[in-house]
Amino acid sequence: MQSLARSSRGFGPWRIPRRALVGVATIGVALLLWWLATSGLRLLNPLRLPSPQEVWAAFTQISSGQGYGGATLWQHAAQSLWLVAKGFTVAVITGVPLGLLMGWSRRAETLINPIFLLLRPIPALAWIPLAIVWFGLGDTGKVFVIWLTAFVPSVINAFTGVRNVDPVLIAAARTQGASTAQVIRHVVIPGAMPLIFTGLRLSLQASWTTLVAAELVGAFFGLGRVLNVAGQDIFPGMILVGMAAVAVCGAVTTWLLGRVERRVLAWRPAV
Amino acid sequence: MSEIVFEGVTRRFPLPKGGDFLAIDRIDLTIEEKEFVAIVGPSGCGKTTLMRMAAGLDFPTDGRVLVGGKEVKGPGPERAVVFQQFALLPWKTVRENIGFGLMCKGTPKAEAEAAIARYVDLMGLTGHEDSFPHQLSGGMQQRVAIARAYVMQPAALLMDEPFGALDAQTRIVMQEELVRLARRNPRTVIFITHAVDEAIYLADRVVVMGRKPGRIIETIDIRPLREDGGWEALPIEEVMDTPDFTHMRSRIWKLLKAREQERPAVPAPTPAPVPAK
Ligand SMILES: Nc1ncnc2c1ncn2[C@@H]1O[C@H](COP(=O)(O)OP(=O)(O)OP(=O)(O)O)[C@@H](O)[C@H]1O
Ligand SMILES: [Mg+2]
Repeated sequence: MQSLARSSRGFGPWRIPRRALVGVATIGVALLLWWLATSGLRLLNPLRLPSPQEVWAAFTQISSGQGYGGATLWQHAAQSLWLVAKGFTVAVITGVPLGLLMGWSRRAETLINPIFLLLRPIPALAWIPLAIVWFGLGDTGKVFVIWLTAFVPSVINAFTGVRNVDPVLIAAARTQGASTAQVIRHVVIPGAMPLIFTGLRLSLQASWTTLVAAELVGAFFGLGRVLNVAGQDIFPGMILVGMAAVAVCGAVTTWLLGRVERRVLAWRPAV
Repeated sequence: MSEIVFEGVTRRFPLPKGGDFLAIDRIDLTIEEKEFVAIVGPSGCGKTTLMRMAAGLDFPTDGRVLVGGKEVKGPGPERAVVFQQFALLPWKTVRENIGFGLMCKGTPKAEAEAAIARYVDLMGLTGHEDSFPHQLSGGMQQRVAIARAYVMQPAALLMDEPFGALDAQTRIVMQEELVRLARRNPRTVIFITHAVDEAIYLADRVVVMGRKPGRIIETIDIRPLREDGGWEALPIEEVMDTPDFTHMRSRIWKLLKAREQERPAVPAPTPAPVPAK
């Protein structure tokens, strides 16, 4: 509240936060410099960095019925979002419970940890060729690779979250007659929740990175496919459109996750 | 049924560098059914450790702890604990924290609500039922922790500095309230405190502990003083002004002080360090 009041000074009746104004101004200046460097003063080769107009033209082309790389921007984006949603969800519903189990039970940790230590050093992207061999260029292989990468941060953070639950809270619940199931449900899981969400955010980021990489290697649709085709066509305007679309999709999913987090962790003191 | 017996209880904690630390050394103590025993002693003398063993959260290295004649194997709702660090669940509201034990027990909702409302009122928490612990002051959090213990109607109450975070006025109100509750509905109580006044005013017996190693220096029966002095009929500040009370206070102070002076102020000699590797 206070920081809001401080940052929004009287800019007429709208009271736009000053930070937002500064942000808009910075972007405006950057756009102007971009325009000057490309079509304004022709300082840069347009095949290296396209002008704003070219990017706009690429955007109108791909977002209209004409499309690019076999579909419109919206179809590509929907395909990518759908795959990220699937891979991320599968990773979370497998990874979080596994992390909770390993955090709660030393025996489970001893049993499962070696597999982890074995698989973790393999960069996720190194799995892509194997995934293509196993599943082809369709959706399944991509969901599989996303799952592999997004799974790890979910497990590790759920695990750490459980280990960080204050033992006094568990003791207190036990003295009030809580069963093990009640301790897990009312103490351990809520106590681990802040770190679980940290894990989910990392998993989501990993999902996008992996998806784009997988689509770059081979895909029929998707934002990575747009980037791949535009690269082969040497179409810098379209490359920038693809990059921006990935950024927007990533930001939207991160924002959605943040909203869920704020609701679930409403009990936390505001920092 | 809820008599608490410590039989030659010793507790050693392993030290990170090997060897162990003797936290409690052969303590024998019997707390009769419905007796109120206060434990005073310097920081680190093992008061919390002793209480945790009665609660079933920690176990003796040697000796036994018996409650109602049975060796303590783990915690149970018939022995309610008020923790030094409150230990409220940060993600549950005041109401949910107070009602947690009742919920675990499966108490019918209406009955639980009524019990919670009674203790919310008694502890002066009205209007904060739906607050989260971090929205309360330290003293209010402590009152929630106390309410959470009382609401279970336990046979034994184990309280670790339950009034430590309260201001002087609230503390007096709570002390008088505790005396009232204890009279109306007597139960076995272990009450740990740093405040000698509080111990004398509340307890049937005061156990004075010393440290290095943690042990009992003396156990003092307060009941004769209370009965002769008619303390029950007097307000707390008048009780604290009676000569009996002030004598008792200085006697306990001397016990605490003598034990500290008896030993060098520098750290007690430790076994010669084992050279690393
Ligand atoms: N889990 C543990 N591991 C190692 N040492 C411990 C452990 N718990 C307690 N101790 C040690 O045992 C001694 C007694 O601790 P305890 O918490 O019982 O003291 P206390 O009398 O309650 O002190 P205070 O008045 O400060 O609360 C201390 O020296 C402490 O360092
Ligand atoms: Mg203590």
